[in-house]
Amino acid sequence: MTSMPDVEFVVRTIAQTAVDNETYFGDLDSVVGDGDFGYSLARGFEIVLSDWDSYDRTDISTFLQKVAMAITGRIGGTSGPIWGTSFLRAAGAVRGKDDLDGADAVAMLRAAIEGIKARGQADVGDKTLLDALVPTTDAIEAALADGKTSDEIVAIAATTARASADATTPMIAKRGRAAYTGERSIGSPDAGAVAVAVIFEALASTWPNREEG
Amino acid sequence: MKKFVNDPKQYVPEMLKGLALANPDTLKYVPEYNLIMRADAPNDDKVSIIQGSGSGHEPAHVMVVGKGMLDGACPGDVFAAPPMDYVYETTKLLNSPKGVLLLVNNYTGDRMAFDMAQEMSLADGVNVRTLFIDDDVAVQDSTYTVGRRGVAGNFFVIKAIGAAAEEGADLDELVRIGEKVNSVTRTMGLALTACIPPAKGGPLFELGDDEIEIGVGIHGEPGRRRAKIAPSDELVDILLEPVVADLPFASGDRVALMVNGLGGTPISELYIAYGHAHEALAAKGIEVVRSYVGEYCTSLDMAGASVTLVKLDDEIERLLDAPAEIGYRVF
Repeated sequence: MTSMPDVEFVVRTIAQTAVDNETYFGDLDSVVGDGDFGYSLARGFEIVLSDWDSYDRTDISTFLQKVAMAITGRIGGTSGPIWGTSFLRAAGAVRGKDDLDGADAVAMLRAAIEGIKARGQADVGDKTLLDALVPTTDAIEAALADGKTSDEIVAIAATTARASADATTPMIAKRGRAAYTGERSIGSPDAGAVAVAVIFEALASTWPNREEG
Repeated sequence: MKKFVNDPKQYVPEMLKGLALANPDTLKYVPEYNLIMRADAPNDDKVSIIQGSGSGHEPAHVMVVGKGMLDGACPGDVFAAPPMDYVYETTKLLNSPKGVLLLVNNYTGDRMAFDMAQEMSLADGVNVRTLFIDDDVAVQDSTYTVGRRGVAGNFFVIKAIGAAAEEGADLDELVRIGEKVNSVTRTMGLALTACIPPAKGGPLFELGDDEIEIGVGIHGEPGRRRAKIAPSDELVDILLEPVVADLPFASGDRVALMVNGLGGTPISELYIAYGHAHEALAAKGIEVVRSYVGEYCTSLDMAGASVTLVKLDDEIERLLDAPAEIGYRVF
């Protein structure tokens, strides 16, 4: 079972990873985009971290909703609407629950994915973060069905996310600013997909040793 | 990188502070939302016109806030769409009984921020509409993108609806005029150098001394193809031909012609380019009746230029002729 401290751990890891990888994500984005991805994400998640103690923690859903509002309202570029919507949908998927199980985690990821698709009018194959997030969620669901432990599942998620991010390299960007370069977007991985991989890798390296709530 | 920069994170706020200090009588600065607004806004007798976009395109859009132009601009960081809160709070601050019109250059992030802000403002009971500007002919395959980008042509939409709003036109009328101007405006740009975003500290892409990038947007994003540098007349033809072919503009048309600098090209070179564009259009029987040469929508310090044509009718010509006042330049 996952409780509020675990959710806080995951959100904090996402935020810290975004801040720590500002330059790396920005460099990835500047290959075919405009280089603002790393900067936007870092400035926004800095706010999430600095306001950390102020978020309403009545329950998990409320906490995620408050984080979502901070992200949506304060992060610029495409990142604010996309990442904020995904947190908001994840919050909606677990409303009223105090403890989450693996199926809840998958439901949150599926809800986030649907939110990203709707907000960004994108789908799998468009060379966006969805190309990492969807196969990773599929892998998590399969690992749950196989009865894996949470440590094992997070490790599988990280491996899948990285392989999926790498697999965006030969794709043509069809959404976002990279899409304007058409076939020239071939040859470099999608910055958002790589960010998803780096976040899951950070979770995989720290999850087994977290302080359990 | 050598720039007048203190801390890259303070690039936009420090620019806005300077702009406000230089125009104390006409502009007001609200730092919480990067908002530069007319000091006399909102005006109960006119629709408020708001543009957001990223920073780095100056004078667009914070420096074209003024009478007959924008009522407010709330840019994000350099090349990043504003956070949704900026647009939402700006809409509330500038809410007028006649309504609010949001102008959006068609880029993914800007669309999302403005769509969400509009949804929230409508829920608050604000009478708000949104107009998308998409004049860039370099983006042809709309199945791969959110469609054409909004680039320097945004100036003409702002100018026309700004004038109409000043005359008291209602929100529906402004939307009609804005859509019409956008529908007859076409732009194409090219880069001679990459630009240097302050937060990155280096060029966004590598371009050889003899290379140019054709079909660039206004964020330093690479264009559709790369070519060798050529004399100015040939570069102008590279820009003009797809623009003329796209609407298409034909013999007998009356047009406004803009040669816009992307931030790092001397005005003298822009006039060299303008002269050829004007003559090349005349040779096709297209009459230039209004001319715009200079920086209207830039890409930081990028050397390069874009060419914009607007097909005029009596209504658009009259609105472009109407007086406007901005603090950007004073003579």
